[in-house]
Amino acid sequence: MGAYILRRLLMLVPVLFGALTLTFFVTRVIPADPVGAILGPQAPPELVDKIRREWGFDKPLHEQFVNYILGVVRGDWGRALRTGRPVLRDILEVFPATLELATAALFVSVAVGVPLGLVAALKKDTWVDHVVRAFITIGSSTPAFWLGLMMLLLFYHRLGWLPGPGRLDTSIPPPPRITGMVTIDSLLAGRFDAFANAVAHLVMPASVLGWISSAGIARITRSSVLEVLSKEHVRAARAKGLAEKLVVSRHVLRNALVPVVTVIGVTYGGLLEGAVMTETVFSWPGLGRYSTNALLGLDYMAITGVTMFVALVYSIVNLATDVIYAYLDPRIRYG
Amino acid sequence: MQANESIKQRKFNVHMVTIAALLIALAGSWAYVLTRPQAPQLKPLTNTSTLVMATDISVIISLDPAEAYELEGCMIVNQLYDKLVELSWNPITGQVEVVPEVAESWEISSDGLTWTFHIRKGITFADGSPLTADAVVFSLRRVVKLGLTPSWILTQFGLTEDSIQKIDDYTVQIKLPRKVAPDLFLSCLAFTTGAIVNPEVVKAHEQKGDLGNAWLKEHSAGSGPFILEKWERESEVVLIANEKYWRGAPRIKRIVIKHVPEPINRVLMLEKGDVDIAFGLTQELVERVKDEVGIRLVSVPVFTKTYLAMNTKFEPFKDNRVREAVRWAIDYNAIFKFLGAQAIPLQTFIDKGIPGYNPSAPYYRNVERARQLLAEAGYPNGFEVELMAPTSYPARDVAEIVRRSLEEVGIRVKLKLVTSAEMYKIYRQQAHQMILAGWGADYPDPDALAKAFADYRARQLAWRNVWYDDYAANLTEIAAQETNPEKRLALYRELTEYVLHNGPYAILYQNMATVAVRTWVENFVLDPMELLPDLYKAYKESVYGYG
Repeated sequence: MGAYILRRLLMLVPVLFGALTLTFFVTRVIPADPVGAILGPQAPPELVDKIRREWGFDKPLHEQFVNYILGVVRGDWGRALRTGRPVLRDILEVFPATLELATAALFVSVAVGVPLGLVAALKKDTWVDHVVRAFITIGSSTPAFWLGLMMLLLFYHRLGWLPGPGRLDTSIPPPPRITGMVTIDSLLAGRFDAFANAVAHLVMPASVLGWISSAGIARITRSSVLEVLSKEHVRAARAKGLAEKLVVSRHVLRNALVPVVTVIGVTYGGLLEGAVMTETVFSWPGLGRYSTNALLGLDYMAITGVTMFVALVYSIVNLATDVIYAYLDPRIRYG
Repeated sequence: MQANESIKQRKFNVHMVTIAALLIALAGSWAYVLTRPQAPQLKPLTNTSTLVMATDISVIISLDPAEAYELEGCMIVNQLYDKLVELSWNPITGQVEVVPEVAESWEISSDGLTWTFHIRKGITFADGSPLTADAVVFSLRRVVKLGLTPSWILTQFGLTEDSIQKIDDYTVQIKLPRKVAPDLFLSCLAFTTGAIVNPEVVKAHEQKGDLGNAWLKEHSAGSGPFILEKWERESEVVLIANEKYWRGAPRIKRIVIKHVPEPINRVLMLEKGDVDIAFGLTQELVERVKDEVGIRLVSVPVFTKTYLAMNTKFEPFKDNRVREAVRWAIDYNAIFKFLGAQAIPLQTFIDKGIPGYNPSAPYYRNVERARQLLAEAGYPNGFEVELMAPTSYPARDVAEIVRRSLEEVGIRVKLKLVTSAEMYKIYRQQAHQMILAGWGADYPDPDALAKAFADYRARQLAWRNVWYDDYAANLTEIAAQETNPEKRLALYRELTEYVLHNGPYAILYQNMATVAVRTWVENFVLDPMELLPDLYKAYKESVYGYG
């Protein structure tokens, strides 16, 4: 298992290289001028040229590429045009917010999706099943922006049950930044007031993302459980006279979970990319907004940096998913 | 079995229809309830020492005064630093004036080339060290040396590091290589690039000869009423009061500028009382809060305008009659109807509130006249043209109105909506045909606009539209050097009239900025530069604890 993990980690290198190269050349080919846009319409042309030269954008493309690769190897992912700061630093600043939101959303989606899928499968063709199937269709197509705004209008504006956009109330001093995740940092600092407030702020955006992602998880859970239910060993267990609860918990669930874990992994990877619509509505300073702004402003370095980072995160999540398989299904062995 | 299957299918169908009906009813009633106007309520005023503002701070690139150029950035920098002279908006005259700040007086030599500034005694930086001529010289030289984006505002007069000299601890002299109209020079000194930074602090944080730029981007070292506590990108900027401020400590002890990218959220937070001031409202939101209890609107015409430009390199636009035809074709009424309170009429290139403003607005929608001019110029059946416009609100809607107006006179417009990165690349290469864009005055002096709209040698708008008109360019240069104020205004009168009728532009409107404020905020004055609100003077108070 250890050797397998090591091999998978080594495979990251060609993956990252591929992502990097593709993004690099695609962004440079687009006929737009990020330096001009960043300096604004009033900047004199000499200044635009000067800044372009400072950033090395006037050099031939292959030379820029080689310089960039050499930099990446050293840990220098270039500077983001819009912030003037190292890209990696920018990404590490915004990523914890996304990590916090994505993890909370994942909890919600699993807590909602798995039971719903399970119940739908067990009660197939009843109204319960039909409600869940309707939810599966609608849930994933609910626009996050609309749902977020509606929730804000209802729970924040009308009812006042939950706080508004942002991660923490203005009146509460933030805890010292250790991980960048306000909830964790509050606990580490022993600040329960900040922790409670941060969790309250997390409820709506996590619910929005969770709702949308839970549809896919419910679907796979339902179909996977249905498949396992038709298997012989289940019929055998029932024939033995085993109580339904035990049939389900001992013989059905664990076997049904393997494909579900795949989907959970993919969902988590997708959530970790950042969700720009949810982040916008809830003023959540995450990776989604950062990468969207980078794309719109054609911030070359930031775009390439974000692509590599996301590829890295995805690969790690995939690896973790595969490792979990091995624990779930003893038949799976990695050599 | 067949029968079983069809019963299952029917059951499924019935359930689906029921669920769909329930969902529609649920969504419908939810939307209905939420869009019912709620009786506005007064909110309790809980915190009088913190001022919370909601806006979009993602445009801020740097808070280093030698680098800050975006509106929001400059507004923050203005709270952190003092300058030799400051801009002050006089709401009665409606004009922005230059007033003394760090410099309590100044003289200009008879040849107009040497300026001597006398520095006020007793000003200290936030850390207690005194502000003397050394700091002034260091700060201004720093701007020239770093040569960052806004540095041209000072260096356009030919300033070098040697131009700025210390005479004694409280006297600074600036020698210009050529004569400049006094108001013009002072307006430029009053821009954020003129901010005085604490030399010791800046030097202590210097890295690799960057004159402290990397550090000063995210920290402050000034003598202004507020100190930068932190700037979390995409999240918030927090300022705390400078208790040692030379004019006395501010009443507001903490300012939080929250990043709220969605305009409707800014209004929701304002209505709940979580935010005291909300910037950047759309017309619909203005309508919503207009009459709400507890909220008042502050509006001011700002020094930003939206214009249509025609590249004279494109064959039809070479003939001024065609350009005149465009000016006569546009449905200005439709534009103002759409924008409502967000715009005021403007057809000349100097904004209202800046000296030299020319209220002349002779163009209105006259389809026959436009067609006649086109026919005279040899285009009786019109022609095809591509119009580039931003994808954002409200520009894209205004572009659509322009397109429709021009269709009626036979000019067939192909509308191309692009992001700013794409737009400026094409515009700067003079590769467009027609473009809808905006321009903001960097400083409240007519020269800022004249250089852009009339002087092709400045390589700004006149140049981008290939309007190489020597008469306009010469007039701009003469006016920039004219020391007699009346003569100067007369020159701009002539220039604005000339550009109005002969230039490659159809200036559409001047923007109005509207900001929504909770009634418990006192002394918040919005100015046309949009970066002068003197938060030092603001405070929060309400008679019964509600507002």
